[in-house]
Amino acid sequence: MPHATYAIDVEELGIRYNLHLTRRTTIKGSLAEWVGRRQRDEHFFWALRHISFRIAHGESIGVLGPNGAGKSTLLLALAGILAPDEGSVRIHGRVSSLLTLGAGFEMEVSGRENIALLGAFMGIRHRVMQELTPSIIEFADIGPFIDAPVRTYSSGMRARLGFSIATAIAPDILLLDEVLGTGDEEFRARSQARIHDLVERARAIVLVTHDLNSVAEYCSRSLLMEKGRVLFEGPTPETVEFYKDRIRKRKAQIAEQEAARAAAGLPQPVALDELPGEPASRQVEPPQPGTLESLASPGQSG
Amino acid sequence: MTTPVRVVRGARTDAGARPPGFRDLFLQLEYVRLVRRGVQDLRTRGRLLQYLVGTDLKRTHADTVMGQVWWLIDPFFSMAIYAILVTVVFQRSIPDAPLFLFAAILPWQWFQTSLIDATTSVTARGNLIRQIQFPKLVLPAASTIAGTITFGFGLLSLAVLYLVYPSRLSPWLLALPVIAVVQYVFTLALAVLFSGINAFYRDVQNLLRHVVRIWFYASPAIYSVAALKGSVFGIALALNPFTYLLTSYRNVAYYGQAPDWVGLASVLLISVVLLGFSIWVFKRIETGFAKIL
Repeated sequence: MPHATYAIDVEELGIRYNLHLTRRTTIKGSLAEWVGRRQRDEHFFWALRHISFRIAHGESIGVLGPNGAGKSTLLLALAGILAPDEGSVRIHGRVSSLLTLGAGFEMEVSGRENIALLGAFMGIRHRVMQELTPSIIEFADIGPFIDAPVRTYSSGMRARLGFSIATAIAPDILLLDEVLGTGDEEFRARSQARIHDLVERARAIVLVTHDLNSVAEYCSRSLLMEKGRVLFEGPTPETVEFYKDRIRKRKAQIAEQEAARAAAGLPQPVALDELPGEPASRQVEPPQPGTLESLASPGQSG
Repeated sequence: MTTPVRVVRGARTDAGARPPGFRDLFLQLEYVRLVRRGVQDLRTRGRLLQYLVGTDLKRTHADTVMGQVWWLIDPFFSMAIYAILVTVVFQRSIPDAPLFLFAAILPWQWFQTSLIDATTSVTARGNLIRQIQFPKLVLPAASTIAGTITFGFGLLSLAVLYLVYPSRLSPWLLALPVIAVVQYVFTLALAVLFSGINAFYRDVQNLLRHVVRIWFYASPAIYSVAALKGSVFGIALALNPFTYLLTSYRNVAYYGQAPDWVGLASVLLISVVLLGFSIWVFKRIETGFAKIL
């Protein structure tokens, strides 16, 4: 095996979305589209393209970039949930993404049955799952609710149980979207401890984050992504510096444009939601609880 | 413990080291490969299927006082409605009408609920599909299995009917599982196909409700084939798989005769071919589910 030394080997990865096949698709719309226009290329949005990188065993890598850069799509591709439309993704080891927080529960059955169900979905052996169940229940710490239908849970309880299941098995390769924090102070402390434990045991980590201050703490190397491409790859301090520099330049650019507008007597833009040049249909990432919204997210520039 | 290795490629490159024999060539066909992988999906995920079926069954009658007893009562009610419709409204005199109707309505309802539940099974799990990688084929399969278990309970109410009409009992009733197997393969084939397409086009689930309703009246469920012999509808009936299925059910459960073996064999053959096609289509579009759900 030529690439066995790498935990993750991504080559020329491309993932595209068909803009005309979304959840609102109907046959009527499709037919109209099909009859109307036949140039198919403009129907695609490349969420990722020409992405190549390797992660050695024992390495942690940070993924930085503005909203809509394709970071989450990259994690989905590494987790095997999205299949590449171009290029290849090779994974050596058991991957786990901690994306599974609370969603995907079966509402009508109990928490205990949901543990078994989600374990089976994740492909964990029945016997292993049976052994793990007591510790999952203990960690979630939701008392007698574990035998009540999940429908009756508070959102905090759902998140606790989801986190507890998702982190029950230490993976070889850990994919993290933001250093997570859920629930109250006490649970947050315990979940942070558990993530640190997983981080220590994992052979490779990919961490997507907006927190430029703490990324160096976890990752020696980082990628900067923008518009589905890797813009910069290098040691974390350098990548962070490059990124900060880029944000400063952008801000200066915008200030300049505004000044020009004011000078020309044009009306001021009401709200500045997006930087120029960003894809119009950006994916909105849910707000991450308990993390710093640092200057890393340019959407917040105010 | 061996390390699992996952290689996913966008473009396929197949290079054989030794000259491939006929069998190798056959197995390398994309169609054959995908169908085999689909069958594997189901065989290796037995536990997941079991849990899914369990939750499906729990969900259907959660929060009801009588719980699973509804599985016995539901078919009785629909049978009673059609019995009144046929004997009182249409003034048809069918001897032992309740049994005549029940023998066909029960398997029809099995088909209807399985197919409609299965069609939305993929879209209903959109959240999970975007978060965990698993063979999606288990979703429609689980819906049809859950439907089958409900059907099994419905058969208990058929047994109750024989207390009223004991003279209708015959040893041919033992052939009923054979008919059920043929119907199951046919149902599964449609369920897999529709659930996959429905992920892209939600029209399928809307359209299906109407199609199934029309299909019911176009099948000999509340009338017998003999009643329409020679008419234009006779041709439509001849092309309808449920003509052979429902006739066979009625033969063994009502008339005490042999099922329509030739008809059943033809339906089975068509169903197996259709199932292969459905699995192939499903496996081809499965990778797109996470993007659109």
